[in-house]
Amino acid sequence: MILIENVEKTFGTAKVLRNINLQVKPGEVLTILGSSGSGKSTLIRCLNGLEKLTDGKITVDGHDVSTRQGLAAARKRSATVFQLFNLYPHKTVLQNITLAPVEVLKHDKRAAEARAQELLELVGLGDFAAAWPQSLSGGQRQRVGICRALAMEPSYLLLDEVTSSLDPEMTGEVLDILAELAKAGTTMIFVTHEVEFARQISDRIVFLEQGELLVDMDVETFFAADGGMAVPRIAQFLSRMKKDGVQ
Amino acid sequence: MRYSDFTPYDLILLLNGLGVSLGLFLATTIIGVFLAVMFTLVSYYRIPVLTQVVVALTEMLKNSPVLVQLFLVFFGAPAFFHVNMTPVAAATLTISLNTAAFAYVIMRSAIASVDVEQIAAAEVFGHSRWQILTLIISPQAAAFAIGPLVGLMINQLQVTSLISVIGVMDLTKIGNILNLRTLQPFIVWTAIGALYYVTAKILASVGGRVEKNLRRSVVWGGI
Repeated sequence: MILIENVEKTFGTAKVLRNINLQVKPGEVLTILGSSGSGKSTLIRCLNGLEKLTDGKITVDGHDVSTRQGLAAARKRSATVFQLFNLYPHKTVLQNITLAPVEVLKHDKRAAEARAQELLELVGLGDFAAAWPQSLSGGQRQRVGICRALAMEPSYLLLDEVTSSLDPEMTGEVLDILAELAKAGTTMIFVTHEVEFARQISDRIVFLEQGELLVDMDVETFFAADGGMAVPRIAQFLSRMKKDGVQ
Repeated sequence: MRYSDFTPYDLILLLNGLGVSLGLFLATTIIGVFLAVMFTLVSYYRIPVLTQVVVALTEMLKNSPVLVQLFLVFFGAPAFFHVNMTPVAAATLTISLNTAAFAYVIMRSAIASVDVEQIAAAEVFGHSRWQILTLIISPQAAAFAIGPLVGLMINQLQVTSLISVIGVMDLTKIGNILNLRTLQPFIVWTAIGALYYVTAKILASVGGRVEKNLRRSVVWGGI
């Protein structure tokens, strides 16, 4: 379980997160919606320790991310997929996937490679193990990014706007895989602008607005006329998303 | 045969001088690059006090002429600290430190050129700072740094000619001797210049090959 309690984050004078309280249970798919600059990505970066909390507490299966040892333990339980992939350009696709399992989890190299190959086949990239990341398309790179995260066998998969830098076709490739993962019961925290997709795969949706958690609802309630849609800001957000053709 | 004629023995003298120049160049490059790596580690781990010492030292070395540094070490240090300083020791010390200062700057900027988001990814996946340095940063930084480093080495090869003024029998000093004896400056200095040129060219082509190898995986700008 991920517990987020009274979390505050400020950058200089800018308050990016205000008094956030949230829980993520194993097996749950939680989507974080909100406009750009609402603090979604910062929240993810607080979860994986890339940003330090100004106040409050985050624990991942009881491990406090603000302590050194707690963060190390928390990072072994979660894995992140990044908006800009952040693959290592000097490593092949296979090496990108096996690096952390071998060096951090101390898995056997052969076993890690076999597992990586399995994952690549799962995402339709079985023939690309020896390729360099730069030779792949954006959608393919992001699928490698997902394999790299899954190779850590995480309890929690953190997805930080993973389709925001992809065109619609490539977005489709990546979302299909995420839908499969969701069906298989993977716990996911999903920061996205893909509202329709979030509707299909999420159990719960939270909406961030200027660093504040506006609503925290199960997915049916969020899209119901008397639920999330009754909140003017959310109705406005959703209608604008549709108008812009961003689904 | 007049005393001022060229003799076959002069070729041996030239080769001897070239050997001294090359030996000094290699020794100072190895020591200098080693020191630069140490300086870089100090600044990567932000070790207190030592970091400031490295910054101050490299700033001094970068911003004063090598010849002045050489005079300070060869004439100044023995007078002030009452230590013995041979010309070769003074030359090795001065040029090593000078190489270290510039190589350190190249290494620092090469490390800074590695995409921070990649480093963030490595952190999130639980890699230690040492693993991030050795597995993620270094291979990429090496590819960034090798070009400037080879350029620096070629420059430092020429800089070794300065040590002739304190009496080290390097290639330039041999040129001086031959010039005074034969009074044929055009021929002597053309030959000396050509020897430096060929050496530098060989160095550049070896460097180019290493660079190509380091960059084989990276199609720059592909991301």
